Amino acid sequence: MASDTAGLKATAVSRSESAPDPAARGWSRRALEAQRLAGRLAAPLWLPPVVLLMRFVLRWRIRDAGRCRREYAKLLEEHRPLLVVANHLTMVDSAVIGWGLGSATSHVVRHRGLPWNVPLQRRVESSWLWRTLAYVMKCVPVPRGGDRQEVAHVLERLAHLLRSGETVLMFPESGRSRSGRVDPQVVADGVGRLIKEVEGCRVLCVYLRGDAQRTWSNLPARGDTFTIATRLVEPRTGLRGLRASRDLATQVVHHLVELERDCLEGRAAS
Amino acid sequence: MTEEKILEKVVEILKPYAKDPAALASVSLETNILSGLKVNSARLVDVVLAFEDAFGIEVADDDADKVETVGDAVRLIQGKLA
Repeated sequence: MASDTAGLKATAVSRSESAPDPAARGWSRRALEAQRLAGRLAAPLWLPPVVLLMRFVLRWRIRDAGRCRREYAKLLEEHRPLLVVANHLTMVDSAVIGWGLGSATSHVVRHRGLPWNVPLQRRVESSWLWRTLAYVMKCVPVPRGGDRQEVAHVLERLAHLLRSGETVLMFPESGRSRSGRVDPQVVADGVGRLIKEVEGCRVLCVYLRGDAQRTWSNLPARGDTFTIATRLVEPRTGLRGLRASRDLATQVVHHLVELERDCLEGRAAS
Repeated sequence: MTEEKILEKVVEILKPYAKDPAALASVSLETNILSGLKVNSARLVDVVLAFEDAFGIEVADDDADKVETVGDAVRLIQGKLA
């Protein structure tokens, strides 16, 4: 086991070193390190109030959160890249998933367990307040519908974070699912590209749904109780180039479809 | 294959993805695929995969990232076929 881990680390370093110079591509590792440090220092200030807001003002509950957190904590102990991939129904999914994967205390103490997010650049840049919050809340904004090279730079940053032991949360359907169900026809290839780029990347598929959630919305209903179903996978492909990215992303989305089916069937049965 | 032939085929491939079919009538090498033809950015990968099938080429992620205009696509395909 120890030798396996050492092998993975060695591979990750060599891939990282062979990657294009980040400074030349419009971002720097130092800037990410600074953001990580700022996030860590600010976490005790914003994490507990956000969790208190969800728990006592919005009265949200997560079913079986203890099991979910124990499993996630075990995954973090392995020190291998971990990408969290989830379905997307509301604008606060990332906050609820973060809460489901760890308590405010655990995220403050082990800050790398709080996943990085990839919000829309347009939304983040709408005000200085959002920019500041996004900075300390571990966000790497992504442009939608824009230059693919800019998106590629965002993916490079995320790959660097994954290799350096951080977790990243992505929604492979790009936006919130308009049908309220995971749509395997709508697959953003970024997830697949990241899995392909990061050697030994594990993927934690997370299906999140509130009992009162019928379709997509801005916020879950007040007093809603969430089910979080998870599945750890390590997708592989024999394809190359763009087809490999598409294949890997599609595999992940199909896992989400299966988790959704199990979740909805379980709900119907009870 | 000549540049004209490749352009013709590229435009044919772009047709089902372009939300602005009128723009296809006046398409040139400078036409931006996303803003000019209103192709959904998420579908750009499907477009490049269609290029791969139609021309029997393989496109790397980095090469696909550089495709902004119809001319970029034509030059990429020309380079792969050469």
